[in-house]
Amino acid sequence: MNETAFKRMKDLPSTHLLGTGTPMCAGCGGLIALHEIYDVLGPKSVFVNAAGCMTLLSVFPFTPFRSSWLYTSMASAPAGAQGVRDALDILLEQGRMPPEDDLDVVVLTGDGSAYGMGLSSTSSAIERGLDFLYICYDNEGYGNTGHQASGATPHAAKTSTTRGPGGFSGYKKDLFSIWAAHQPAYVATVIGSEPLDLARKIEKAKSLRGPRLIIALAPCPTGWEFEPRDSIEIGQLAVKTGIWPLKEYVDGSVAHTVVPRRRAPVEQYLEKQGRFAHLFHPQRNDRLLAELQARVDGYWDSV
Amino acid sequence: MSRELLTGNGAAAWGARLAEVDYVPAFPITPQTEIIETLANWFESGEMPGRLVTLESEHSMITAAGAAAATGVRVFTATSSQGLLYGMEMIFSVAGWRAPFVLVNVSRGLGTPTTLESDHTDVLAARDSGFLQLHCATCQEVVDTILMAYRIAEDTRIRLPVIVNLDGFYLSFTREPVELPDPALARRFLPPFDAQNLRFRASAPTSQGVAVLGGSPYSYFRYQAHLASLRAIEVYDEVADEFEAAFGRRHEAIEAYRCEDADILFVMIGSFATKAKAAVDQLREAGWRVGLARIRLLRPLPVDALRRVTSGARGLAVIDQNLSMGQGGVLHSEVASALYGHPKAPPILASFIGGLGGRDISPEELYEIAAETRKAIDEGRSPLPRLLFTRDELREIRKLQAIAEVERNELEVKR
Amino acid sequence: MKTASRVLGTAFFSCGFEVQDAPRYGAERRGAPTFAYVRASQKPIQERGVIRNPDLVIVGDDTLPAVPAAGVMHGVGAQTVMLIHSRDDADSWRHRLNLAGPVIVLPTNGDVAADTDLPFVGCVSAGAAARLTGVISREALMAAVAKELEPLGDRAVRENERRALAAYEDMEAHEGVVREARDIRAEEYEAPDWIHLAPEEAKISAPAIHAAATSEHVETGAWRTARPVVDEARCNRCWWICSTYCPESAIAVSPEGRPEIDYDHCKGCMICVAICPSHAIAAVPEEATPREELESR
Repeated sequence: MNETAFKRMKDLPSTHLLGTGTPMCAGCGGLIALHEIYDVLGPKSVFVNAAGCMTLLSVFPFTPFRSSWLYTSMASAPAGAQGVRDALDILLEQGRMPPEDDLDVVVLTGDGSAYGMGLSSTSSAIERGLDFLYICYDNEGYGNTGHQASGATPHAAKTSTTRGPGGFSGYKKDLFSIWAAHQPAYVATVIGSEPLDLARKIEKAKSLRGPRLIIALAPCPTGWEFEPRDSIEIGQLAVKTGIWPLKEYVDGSVAHTVVPRRRAPVEQYLEKQGRFAHLFHPQRNDRLLAELQARVDGYWDSV
Repeated sequence: MSRELLTGNGAAAWGARLAEVDYVPAFPITPQTEIIETLANWFESGEMPGRLVTLESEHSMITAAGAAAATGVRVFTATSSQGLLYGMEMIFSVAGWRAPFVLVNVSRGLGTPTTLESDHTDVLAARDSGFLQLHCATCQEVVDTILMAYRIAEDTRIRLPVIVNLDGFYLSFTREPVELPDPALARRFLPPFDAQNLRFRASAPTSQGVAVLGGSPYSYFRYQAHLASLRAIEVYDEVADEFEAAFGRRHEAIEAYRCEDADILFVMIGSFATKAKAAVDQLREAGWRVGLARIRLLRPLPVDALRRVTSGARGLAVIDQNLSMGQGGVLHSEVASALYGHPKAPPILASFIGGLGGRDISPEELYEIAAETRKAIDEGRSPLPRLLFTRDELREIRKLQAIAEVERNELEVKR
Repeated sequence: MKTASRVLGTAFFSCGFEVQDAPRYGAERRGAPTFAYVRASQKPIQERGVIRNPDLVIVGDDTLPAVPAAGVMHGVGAQTVMLIHSRDDADSWRHRLNLAGPVIVLPTNGDVAADTDLPFVGCVSAGAAARLTGVISREALMAAVAKELEPLGDRAVRENERRALAAYEDMEAHEGVVREARDIRAEEYEAPDWIHLAPEEAKISAPAIHAAATSEHVETGAWRTARPVVDEARCNRCWWICSTYCPESAIAVSPEGRPEIDYDHCKGCMICVAICPSHAIAAVPEEATPREELESR
């Protein structure tokens, strides 16, 4: 698809579909991505949600959505999407529902579900060729319970279960590649601080059928320990330093949609966040900083 | 021994620490998470030897807990609500392994609707699993009960896992004075786990948790676990004696508060029981003969003790902070089945459902529960089950329903 | 306020009281109004949960009494002492909230609290409250501050100690104004107005929302401590930056290209202030905004 309605920034919507008054933290990077995504997706959608921060978007009698919502559980949102999609198809096939009442079925989960408990259900939904869009807001930890380490937590990050001098000892799982290995219709990474790239990807995903999966890195003032006002700048640094590559998988190949011309040093991104403060204070941890930089360099050398 | 202010979650972490647990499989869930965070930090800082590992789900967490116990180490884990339910397949399975460990459940109501606040429907869903169940009313009891729970679980007559329950918010996030047992005394009370034949070793081939063919072996193994659970009633009393001797605090299987000469008894579990104690004191001052029977040991249910404690009363007011849909209060059914046919059973058994999803129960409501029960005694007829729910609460619901446009024009918004 | 409750709880405890303290976490997040409570008694405390009839209410943010959902006035009676951090005086609060009990305002010198004071509101509250109870010594207060703030490091402890002590001294004239209320007696209680719930059809009694964007009823504007204000002269009409990046959908752009901020819902994250390339948006302390506007909400 070459045509896009989003050629320049001014093509982005200036009024917004997602309602105000949500209980998300001030400066939530996940909410930035969601409201940008929702503007492109439009109101003909049903969000099927798994346990996470955004579960509290819909607390009786309040919802910010102009469309529909179903909360399922932490592990089984893609299975919920299967049931809704299949039922809509049955109603359409049998003429019991007019085609204009059809909906995009959208799974909305955090990284705790996407990278962990919900992975089996996602894998199986892709395997069945389910026609759905999966949006993972990835704040790299179990944010809703106070930011414990999850399968999405980056190496060396401090979380509430990894407060030692080395931070989290594991490595962030490459969910993009895991999903892409299933050969779905579309996989992409996005971030709210790059709204044009995000809008084009959601537009493309919307135009395709089958499993379409999006990971939105979600800078989290509360869990990553930074001032809410810096949410966008930290997102921009994630892209500029190359630590969050913006890319898409379509038709069997991966393409990078934003390639930083000169990558900024990774520590510019790290030093703005309290969760990495132990890499700089009381002493600089040169070994870990070099390792983190080398991993990013290694990634970009390989693509 | 010094007293300090600790939350229920902090007390639970201390219980695990004083029990010198080796292994903590974990998964975060509100309102339990502070327990595993605290333990994670103690392990990381080296204050506690051993290991905490975050699993990807409660199903995996409980599997790992049972597996490690079956391999012969002392295991602690904690969850709540949806997490307990997600792990429920393994709750039933690992109990049958006869591998002891302690699981703390921080009670929280179950979805749907999703809530973060406390009631007991979650833990009671595990009632029939084979896990023993101990229910705490104070932060002090949390730390004490965990130590007692390991003694009971690991007793070779029992060998069953134990759930120690505390209420979300009302205990989990609430600081109260807690006297922490001296670590040396705790070690004397609870020596290191002697796993005996619970092991996987190259030198000793063992197959655990195996299947059976046919109802006879199935009946045998299941009923043996039941018999072991029943035996925990006497083991509990022994352990309570030893605990009292070591630490000076007595935790009865059923706490009887001012029950002697009482006409009316509140019967309940959990932290709201202390509210009921305060109500008992006030009602006594007003000349009512009221007491409280609080069930600490719910599985196995100490039926004889329950009969003894209630035998002088004329009416029981069972306050259930849970709901078995289509039946009512779980505790009410439990008490009815325990007392049915007993010659000294109180003639009146009244059922009150209250405190669902964290709803408070006020002193006035406890007085009114006593008043309704007394009226039933006078009339000689148990009243209809009652939900503690006021006209004002319904009015508030109507306002919310109006915002949600529930049946747009049909719903009358009463002012 | 969690800090205040812990400091006050610890101080009571070290003075020989039985104590219960707890923060109240809701479904809402960082920035949302929160509260915490403390019970203290010479006898073991059997009551639990949120305090129904407080003897002392401490308000850390004076925009909250106007927000019903914050529940500041819940259970306030003639006995209740009200301590408010505010630039307005006690009389105006007594009048505005129709209070029968004592009202005390902090700081006593009428200075507007600076932004830099905000992190200390917990310890200032605890310091003042300690004196109002009349049973907590300076030493117990200082030790409690040191114990509860220890994880933040020595400097933070010293700064908090200084401010807590200043608040304690400030309250000398009001020492002991807080009195212990009586328990509700079983002879004279007001019976609860219980009802038996009637069955209603699932289309009414299922937890479902049949309307769109109802969250707009929730005025998250109360979360702010400062507000972003657009300088029309400096706005270069970019059409999109502040509006797109505002997480809350609280900035719309008018057909003329002017950003319009929805102050009923802006949580005050200040992303728009940080990101505006022409620096046309400034953060203005919330207390400096006209009082009438707050009251009209």
